[in-house]
Amino acid sequence: MQLRRVITVLIMVTILVVPFVAFRVLPEIGDPNSAPNSHVTDYYIEHTISECNSPNMVTSIIVDYRAFDTMFETTVMFLSGVAVILILSNKPKKRDDMFRKFNPCTTNTGPSIFKTVNKDVMISIIEPLILIYAIYVLFHGEVSLGGGFQAGALIGMTYLLDVMVVKRKDRDIFNYSLERSVSVAGTGPFIYAVGGILGLIGGGLFMEFEAIPLPIEAPELHSIGILIVEVGVTVGVMCTIITILKAIMDRVSFDDDND
Amino acid sequence: MNNFPALIVVCPLCAALLNLVLNRINEKLGKAVIVLSVAASLIMSVFVLAQVITTGTIHYHMGNYDMPLGIEFVIDTVNGLIVVLVSLIGFLTLLFSDNFGYKFKTRLTKGAANTVLTLLIVGLLGMTLTGDVFNLYVFLEITSLSAYCLIALGGERGIFSAFRYLLVGTVAATFYLLGVAILYGVTGTLNMADMADILNEGGKDQAMLLAICFLVPAFGIKMALFPFHGWQPSAYSYSEAGAAPLITGVMGKIPAYAMFRYLYCIYGTDFKYFNSILVIVGVFSVFGMLYGSIRAIAQTDIRKILAYSSVAQIGYISLGFAIGTPIALCGAFLHMLGHAFMKGGLFFCTGAIRHKFGTVNIEDFGRIYKKMPLTCGTLTIAALSMVGIPPTVGFFSKWYLGSAAAMQGEWIYLAVLVISSLLNAIYFFRLIEKVFINEDKSLKERVYDEFKTCGWKLVLPVVVCFIAILGLGLANVKIIDILMLSLKGVGLC
Repeated sequence: MQLRRVITVLIMVTILVVPFVAFRVLPEIGDPNSAPNSHVTDYYIEHTISECNSPNMVTSIIVDYRAFDTMFETTVMFLSGVAVILILSNKPKKRDDMFRKFNPCTTNTGPSIFKTVNKDVMISIIEPLILIYAIYVLFHGEVSLGGGFQAGALIGMTYLLDVMVVKRKDRDIFNYSLERSVSVAGTGPFIYAVGGILGLIGGGLFMEFEAIPLPIEAPELHSIGILIVEVGVTVGVMCTIITILKAIMDRVSFDDDND
Repeated sequence: MNNFPALIVVCPLCAALLNLVLNRINEKLGKAVIVLSVAASLIMSVFVLAQVITTGTIHYHMGNYDMPLGIEFVIDTVNGLIVVLVSLIGFLTLLFSDNFGYKFKTRLTKGAANTVLTLLIVGLLGMTLTGDVFNLYVFLEITSLSAYCLIALGGERGIFSAFRYLLVGTVAATFYLLGVAILYGVTGTLNMADMADILNEGGKDQAMLLAICFLVPAFGIKMALFPFHGWQPSAYSYSEAGAAPLITGVMGKIPAYAMFRYLYCIYGTDFKYFNSILVIVGVFSVFGMLYGSIRAIAQTDIRKILAYSSVAQIGYISLGFAIGTPIALCGAFLHMLGHAFMKGGLFFCTGAIRHKFGTVNIEDFGRIYKKMPLTCGTLTIAALSMVGIPPTVGFFSKWYLGSAAAMQGEWIYLAVLVISSLLNAIYFFRLIEKVFINEDKSLKERVYDEFKTCGWKLVLPVVVCFIAILGLGLANVKIIDILMLSLKGVGLC
């Protein structure tokens, strides 16, 4: 047993020390003549606007030049949601029943005890603002900062905020069941894939946005393609967050619940 | 036709993504679409392989961006064959897993398990086809995530071994990413062919050495090469029974193929420390071949026997890489194809026996051949192939490996190859003895209430594996010819 520990420590020290000595092979940060800054990067910087019609270089690389990668990154999000459902469904629900018997839940509706912000009022002001901002981020992704992942996270977080603050009874309008949220999470990456398949239908290669069969000029088609992709990512990320939240909530109930 | 390379991956992907929607409409619809999509990619991969054999390597550029800018799929005869293998075993596993649906209580979890299994197939297909180092990482991520999930579904022990695999696998993914980062730092490109061109200009030996020191353990962990195999036996044994053939048969092979690409396609024999790296890989595989076989002798759970034997069998494949001549590489890839059917077939048989009688202990297998003749036929032929008896594929792959080792004068490798085969014989003949000679234990058939078993879905995979093991063995010259089309001139000559 002792030997095993010594060996482990030795291996860890080697792995930590050797890179410190040897990582000098990497180029200096910000060196304009280094390989990463001169090989493909130059081409991207010079041709992004003319080829992809997108002033935001990061977006154009992520969802146009390397769109195929991002499709599978979105699929990874969906996969994580499905995995959470599968793994959490294996175990019995509500294991803390005994604990709850001795700690009865007290309702805390009505006027707040502390004279702070009234959450019922604030939530109805804050949520629409976050949603508007999310949609702005989504549609502005190709022009300035932002994109699908951020927009999806914002919308998902709005739902999370809503679940945490508003009472369960009042939440019927926007109450997603687990089945529905996970199916919609799957359609997100599917929309993304459809964006690629449209290129195939137009006679091009997969993910070739210029071949999308729409009567618009070629640079505009890149914008359309990027938009389809961003919408897909948004839907996927949003519903994955909701799915994970739902799966955890089905497993245990929180003490703040009123039912 | 010329879009087939992309569609091979995209078809099952779309089916997997839509599965849960279709599952809400009708329980059988989602599964049917998945099975059809994987069948479609099987057919397409056969077409692509035929095209590659006649016209040479195919390059498919995603989004029509040229080589270093976008992502490309590169298909030569080697990965063309592996893609056919992955989609065939994936297709069979999807059919097979129908019989294990009783484990899932709700419709949602049943559909979700199918989704995860399909995404595992997608990840494996993508890892084989891609010609881009970062794209390989993304597919590696999909493969590992779905594998963690499928292993965790195998009961309480499954969850434990999945967690261990998760910890170790994350280290592997990080190491891979570090290796890629170093290579990107000195080349500035992510495309494999472009990277190979830039690295061959020379003067980057130190960075390349550092990167390969990260990459070999990364792939070693993923393929369960000897010192990195710790997660493997329990993960293979306790994984979800319906998905086990795919996990055990194919999942370890694809990282091995990726390692081949790094060693021979990106680094190449001009690399200054190439021979030292090959020696290290060779030492790992020699110890793995002995260790795996010896540990397998001590087990009684058939799944554990097979899992430890996988440690040894992966050693044969990496031994082929370590010898490094085109013949040895052909032997390694023939063994990769053959072993996928052997180990997949053995797990199909184990699953069938488990489904019928609910046991995995080989002490209970007495004269089981009377009750399940087809299954035991495949069990026997796969076991003989593991040992290396002609005319099964196992004999021919070991023959090519052994003759290549002899040609290079690597007598230690040859000796270990023979010793390991003899050790294989010990535990596989023990298995055959249990099946044919031992006393009948009068096992009771398992009764499933409210669950309809589908007999032909259990039998078909077993029969296909039987045919494949014999067929690959008899047609080994043809397979070697096809492999040689791409491997000629690769490696040490």
